[in-house]
Amino acid sequence: MSKAVPWDEAEVRGPKLAYTITPENCGRMIRRAKRLLIVVGGNILDEEYTKAGTLHILERIVKKTNATLAISAGVFKAFHRFEDAKYAVNVESLVDRLKDGNWMGFDGKGGYDFILFVGSLYPFQSMMLATLKHFAPNIRTLTIERYYHPNAEFSLENLSFERWRDGLEALVKALEA
Amino acid sequence: MVTKINIKELTSSHLKIKGLELTVGRFVESEDWAEPMGPTPYPTIMDLREWDLKLLKRYQPFYSPLSDFCEFCTFGKCDLTAGKRGACGIDMAGHIGKWSLLQSVMGASAHTTHAHHLLNFLIKQYGGDQPIDLGSEVEIEAPITRLITGIKPKKLSDLIDVVNYLEGQITHLLSATATGQEQNYLDYESKALHAGMLDILALEVADIAQISALGFPKGDAETPLIEVGMGVVEREKPVILCIGHNVAPGSEVINYLDETGLYGQIEVAGVCCTASDLARFSKGAKIVGPISRQLRFIRMGIADVVIVDQECVRADVIEEAVKVGSRVIATSDQLVGGLPNLTNMDEDTIVQKLASGDAKAVVIQDPVKVGRVAVKAAQLIAPLRANQKGYDKDKVLAKASLCSLCLSCTKNCPIGINVGLAVNTAKRGDPSLLLEVFDECLGCGRCDSSCPNDVPVLTVVDAASEDKIKRERFKIRAGRGPIKDTEIRNVGRPIVMGEIPGVVVFAGCANYPGGNNHLAMMADEFAKRRYIVVTSGCAALDIARYKDENGQTLYEKYPGDFDAGCIVNLGPCVSNAHAVGAVVKIASIFAKRNLRGNFEEIADYILNRIGAVAIAWGSQHQKAMSIATGANRFGIPVILGPQGVKHRRAYLGRSEDYGRWLVYNAKDGQLVYGGPSPEHLLCVVETPEEAMVMASKMVMRPNDTPKGRMIKISNYVSLHRQLYGCLPEDLHLFVRDENDLPVTIKEEVLQIIKQRGWKPIEIPDPTLLSRMVMGGR
Repeated sequence: MSKAVPWDEAEVRGPKLAYTITPENCGRMIRRAKRLLIVVGGNILDEEYTKAGTLHILERIVKKTNATLAISAGVFKAFHRFEDAKYAVNVESLVDRLKDGNWMGFDGKGGYDFILFVGSLYPFQSMMLATLKHFAPNIRTLTIERYYHPNAEFSLENLSFERWRDGLEALVKALEA
Repeated sequence: MVTKINIKELTSSHLKIKGLELTVGRFVESEDWAEPMGPTPYPTIMDLREWDLKLLKRYQPFYSPLSDFCEFCTFGKCDLTAGKRGACGIDMAGHIGKWSLLQSVMGASAHTTHAHHLLNFLIKQYGGDQPIDLGSEVEIEAPITRLITGIKPKKLSDLIDVVNYLEGQITHLLSATATGQEQNYLDYESKALHAGMLDILALEVADIAQISALGFPKGDAETPLIEVGMGVVEREKPVILCIGHNVAPGSEVINYLDETGLYGQIEVAGVCCTASDLARFSKGAKIVGPISRQLRFIRMGIADVVIVDQECVRADVIEEAVKVGSRVIATSDQLVGGLPNLTNMDEDTIVQKLASGDAKAVVIQDPVKVGRVAVKAAQLIAPLRANQKGYDKDKVLAKASLCSLCLSCTKNCPIGINVGLAVNTAKRGDPSLLLEVFDECLGCGRCDSSCPNDVPVLTVVDAASEDKIKRERFKIRAGRGPIKDTEIRNVGRPIVMGEIPGVVVFAGCANYPGGNNHLAMMADEFAKRRYIVVTSGCAALDIARYKDENGQTLYEKYPGDFDAGCIVNLGPCVSNAHAVGAVVKIASIFAKRNLRGNFEEIADYILNRIGAVAIAWGSQHQKAMSIATGANRFGIPVILGPQGVKHRRAYLGRSEDYGRWLVYNAKDGQLVYGGPSPEHLLCVVETPEEAMVMASKMVMRPNDTPKGRMIKISNYVSLHRQLYGCLPEDLHLFVRDENDLPVTIKEEVLQIIKQRGWKPIEIPDPTLLSRMVMGGR
């Protein structure tokens, strides 16, 4: 038996909490997204993410899904080698647009039905997810952080670094399968 | 305070009145002030609401709830998730709007109380007739007060009316947060903007009063260089440490030391803004550091007597100080800490009680008595505590052996430092990671109370870093206070025309996402690029904690003038008023706009013409939120670091939303496109790189001349390329005409932006106020 607890022990929320899912199910879920947007936070170049090879994981996800990458502007430089649709953003402004049902996306072809978050300071990402949970409840949100985020719709549980790193690989394999 | 009664028409059996205007109250003499009174002297909540709604239409509130519940009344708690309403009918937007107002009121009331206490003390000591004097080169001594209240204060007692006004308005604002009062989120925000504006006014009252009475620097660029750092205090001497924001008790310590010839024999140091003010009062005072140094310095036991006044005093300071044998004197009714009030007790009896340990912590609400008691007590206590100063390094580090690597400390670190791994590595004999933690740690101590094995985590980090602490010695320029009118005359035109690319203010608390070097890095970059860089509060202290390759801090490297390529330390939190005051003075001195009771016009001028932006990289306190909100009402945008998201509210523009950026062209009254500048009023960024590029964009204004816009675009493009590695995607929104583009990139950029459908626009004479059309003022 286990219970999902937020990584930040004080991040105790209300009745609507994220479902914990396995990395493999994350992969399957991403595969079903029609318009996937990946929001990459400003901490993506921190040691833990680089040690887990997160950039390479993202590259593979994008290749498989044609997802759009919205990258926190301060780390955009590290993504120049990515050839697919990518935008340097202020994440807060992006979330402001995401909660607007009339926003047509970066390419003007319509909104995004599925948003994947990774790479932000825990409290920052938590608050961005809270905005979407409250003001754009129809948007599906998933975080693939190492830590449980109650404000997402779907989140991994708190994982050891090794389990998380291996989980990201499993996620991509499930997506590529 | 003046009350106006306006009777349009009244008819009774005995009386018929038409068009009567009656004014009752105490007038402040302003016979040498020729300006006519503007439309909103002493504005009430409703007087500037229209201005607020204009701002909020363009910069709409963006909410990030910190909790899913409302817990304000006994109907609740109520779940407000995803559109649900609470038992009182409120929804999440209204609820967060209420929080927004509450935070701003908390901040404004803290500074107002500060101003009130300080003013009472100064009037008692120096008399109500003590002139308001900010030096011969500062004729507009109180730009914020003149603008908001319509008075020109000449002496300390003139400020009493202003404080009365502040307290009255704050009561009204707080009242609106009660259940059953305000309900609309935009009106909560309008009230929050009102509270923020009041806060800026309170800051000015406090600072001009103390500058005038206590002989602080009056706008001097070359103020003394003061020592700052945990290593600057000579622990062999008796040490008195002042914590908080109100300088009165600390200044009386120094006065008493002067009187008795003890100056130099006793160390007087401070933490947080009181420290900055003590350094303005006496160049012998030392600054330990910002709020992030408070708990750690107390725990080191170096202070023999700790004086706490008000604001930014940690809730555990008294307990922690007593634990290490320090004695504590609380001095403000805002913080009495459950202590006995000995204000009326004989001075020597209090000293004996403190020295013997009969009373370890007391309240004394008389700053003069505090000064005398603190000195006498420190002299008696210091020899008894000589062996309690500093850490027993081996003993403290041995406590790391209790670590079970549960990572509870890591989970509870507000900035996610892996402190658990560092402690556990130290347990295995390698303390090197603890030294790395020391550099980034905010000193909040949340790690300690989360440890199930009672490892004093913060103390372990600091004990391991003791050598670093001893070497922590930097130089900061004492806060200079106001910007001189002569400086405004020199820079007003180039700022408004855009030739000085902007004024960048670094303000706020020490809640950084990754060490404080980022602040210095940003300040250095903007100074190199010849922006005017201004610092204040804890941010000013932290900027000093960085030395360049020549061993100089930025305050040694750059001049302290209010000019391009300089770094100006204004002083503590209350000195933030001078940053806002400087832009107000530009409107007055350069543009000859009337200030008197004329808030809306001046804010409109600032928003559309003056390229100023503030960065509160470590915004933490409600006061930071309140000051930022106040700056916003003045038309000054603010950028917060990632922790600032926990203030729960931003004011965001949408650059692609054409309608939001329409302005009146004052020349002909046409509504025209002015461009998304500034793009946001209050926004959160994640990285220092993003803060820098955002700031370079947020200093653009619709009124920039082609040459000015060219300089601003040049910096925006260059920073964007340097830090993001590419041209800005939104560049076309800021190029109004080909002449806005620097020659070096003109061809390349024109080709790109033309592909994006760019077309030139006319540069307007911009205003959001229809009454300003055709020189309507």
